[in-house]
Amino acid sequence: MVLRFSADTVNEPITYILIKEYDVLINILNADITHGKEGSLLIEMIGRKSDVNKAVVYLESKQVEISPVVKTILFKESLCIHCGACSSVCFRGALTMDSSSRKLEFSPEKCVACELCIKACPLQLFDLNFGAN
Amino acid sequence: MSIRKSFQEINEKIKNGNAVVLTAEEVSAMGRNQSPAEIAKKVDVVTTATFGPMCSSGMFINVGHSNPPIRMEKVTLNGVPVFSGIAAVDLYIGATENHPEDPAYGGAHIIEELIAGKDVELVAHAKGTDCYPLRDIRTTINRNNINEMIMFNPRNAYQNYPTAVNTSKRIKYTYMGSLLPMLGNANYSTSGELSPLLNDPEMRTIGMGTRIFLGGTTGYVSWYGTQFKTDSENNEFGVPVSNAATLAVIGDAGKMDTAFIKAAYYEKYGVSMFVGIGIPIPVLDEDMAARVMIRNDQITTRILDYGEPHHPELGRVTYEALLSGEIELDQKKIKTASLSSIHKAREIADRLKKEVSKGSFLLSEPVEMFPRGKGLNSLEIR
Repeated sequence: MVLRFSADTVNEPITYILIKEYDVLINILNADITHGKEGSLLIEMIGRKSDVNKAVVYLESKQVEISPVVKTILFKESLCIHCGACSSVCFRGALTMDSSSRKLEFSPEKCVACELCIKACPLQLFDLNFGAN
Repeated sequence: MSIRKSFQEINEKIKNGNAVVLTAEEVSAMGRNQSPAEIAKKVDVVTTATFGPMCSSGMFINVGHSNPPIRMEKVTLNGVPVFSGIAAVDLYIGATENHPEDPAYGGAHIIEELIAGKDVELVAHAKGTDCYPLRDIRTTINRNNINEMIMFNPRNAYQNYPTAVNTSKRIKYTYMGSLLPMLGNANYSTSGELSPLLNDPEMRTIGMGTRIFLGGTTGYVSWYGTQFKTDSENNEFGVPVSNAATLAVIGDAGKMDTAFIKAAYYEKYGVSMFVGIGIPIPVLDEDMAARVMIRNDQITTRILDYGEPHHPELGRVTYEALLSGEIELDQKKIKTASLSSIHKAREIADRLKKEVSKGSFLLSEPVEMFPRGKGLNSLEIR
């Protein structure tokens, strides 16, 4: 999710409170915060559903704007040479080799963005994309 | 009477436009219900191909003499060191040479960029001599302003190669790709029944001087490849069950196409290069017909554990099983993937079939055959 702070809340130790008071695991993926100015934070928040819900209520009480974000895999499909190196690490079966055409097929709806394909592709055709849901 | 055809007879048929040319996959399918004698009678040429990552590759270039001239000693192209210990302005770009600060960029990328016609920055240093006074140069080169671009790959087209798995508890990043822990996947790398040396396992028609498709143009087999080995164990269908013969190949990279030469990077291993190779095999007699009929269910390879330093063998498997996408080992179903592109290998075999059929690609009889009974030395640490 992306958290957007006004200039007033930017000085709040929000991540500290989220972790300490709400027992959620925070993974900061991108941060753009300057003292006294508006800022944004791209985070993954992992925890019990009840804790996450309470954390969201806390964030809303602090006028932090929350927009859910999905992490997706970008695939430069037109450059693919159809080797298949990505397909054996893709445990969700989003990257599969067509048994007759021997062409790689990508089904984004099955992808959970585990990122194993990023390192497996010898042509480096996969990338992470953070987009609003 | 048994069929016998010479290279010359087959070439005459090709020139007259009446040679029967099939791809190795087509002849394998045909072989399911026809005998070697029937195939020897009907088929003249079988086209084979492979498009896999082949580390032992590189390119000689001659960049031309500057004024004043320089005897280049330490040379980089886009920051990647290249070998200059040949002559003043002859260089060899090793495909696997790495950029010192960017592990994912190396010699193969330079080769691909030069073939694509891009500018590459050349920086060279020399001590300076009476005949070559210049000591430093920084300029750009591309395929149009240098002299020769000769691809010479000391070891390509491995006859067979083991399948890699990992029994250890952590992911292994290897030249066989990402190997997931606890037998999480199995990676292999040949084009199976399409692969050149699996269709002529005794190398009766492939030898020094064989004309081949290399990287989008015509090339030649220049020698047997490094690590060439003919004393490997064969299975009951006469093909080696492990890495065996190899080819050293040469061709004019100035005429190559980046659709068939692709730089690759394997995580935490380094740079390599996909090379497209196609070899037409003449069906000289029944024995050659029986060879080219080989099918994926008749070709076997060893499964090696890359989780252990000495890569112990865990079993054997056919390419039919590997190509199905799943194999079974230790009662566990394991996902498989090819590192070489079967799709591109088919494209090369089809293209070569068209070229031979229309008479624009003639077969060449080897000038000399490869040695037999050649084994390998290993490096003793002493």
